[in-house]
Amino acid sequence: MRENTQLMVIAEDYSEDRTTLFGFWLYLMTDVVLFASLFAVYAVLRSNTADGPAGAEIFSMPLVATETLLLLSSSFTCGLALLAAQAGNRAKVLFSLGATFILGACFVAIEAIEFAKLVADGFGPSRSGFLSSYFTLVGTHGLHVSLGLLWMLVLMAVIFFRDLSRPIMRKLLLMSLFWHFLDIVWIFIFTVVYLLAL
Amino acid sequence: MNFYTYFQDIGAWPRESRSFWRAYAVGFLLCLLCTASAFYLAISGTLSHTELVLFLFALAFAQLIIQLTCFLHLGGHAESRARLGVFGLAVLVALIIVAGSLWIMESLDARMMPGEGAMEQYMSDQGGF
Repeated sequence: MRENTQLMVIAEDYSEDRTTLFGFWLYLMTDVVLFASLFAVYAVLRSNTADGPAGAEIFSMPLVATETLLLLSSSFTCGLALLAAQAGNRAKVLFSLGATFILGACFVAIEAIEFAKLVADGFGPSRSGFLSSYFTLVGTHGLHVSLGLLWMLVLMAVIFFRDLSRPIMRKLLLMSLFWHFLDIVWIFIFTVVYLLAL
Repeated sequence: MNFYTYFQDIGAWPRESRSFWRAYAVGFLLCLLCTASAFYLAISGTLSHTELVLFLFALAFAQLIIQLTCFLHLGGHAESRARLGVFGLAVLVALIIVAGSLWIMESLDARMMPGEGAMEQYMSDQGGF
């Protein structure tokens, strides 16, 4: 009887974590709708170049391929961080998260360079409808990645100073969902925005 | 306190014992393959535009499913069913927004922009405005 009660308590305990997980998942779904709207705007405006450059003239494929590889690898190392956390290996968690952070930061850096070069060449967001929608879609994704990096940094600091605990495990899981989700959005960005512009 | 099964306990990962390391590694390799094929097809330029669009979207959706199963551990286990359900709804909304916008704007475009000579044709038919 007593064991039974204890089991009940444990099951109830996890239900809060389950609710948080589902709630965060719902947030990600609203982000799906946000990105769908931006994709729709881009799809409608992509040929409105207003005598400015079209995508094929300004996109650098080697850079886009590098960005794609960086983000995909960071998604993988993020998964490794979760595995290390399950195994209780804090050093490995920090190492994997650090690798994820560096890969993600390189992604953002390349994107920033790309944007800066476009603006310097006079192809900023105000040049044409195509460029407005391009900067909004890709920029929103980049902003998400940057916020993810900030979140990762805070988590790394917490894990560095404290032992793994349930709240930390939960935050780690939610951060990884966010990160994997951003990589999924990127699949459609490189396909629709970059590869189909060629 | 250990967390050997924490992600399974809260229903994020499937309960059945399988190698998650392998899931991540296989997912990563398959995604690399999809990405490389997509870039190769787009850059080589051997396909017609329609074929290219079809192949690229097929590869993108393949990669979407690989990442959902291998990285997000969606589907397969009962615990993820609720998340899979709302994901399906979100995809439906996304498709309606994108396809609907394209449909409406293309139609509007076709009505607003008469083709070459259409205006002259109209003028001569009507004898002016």
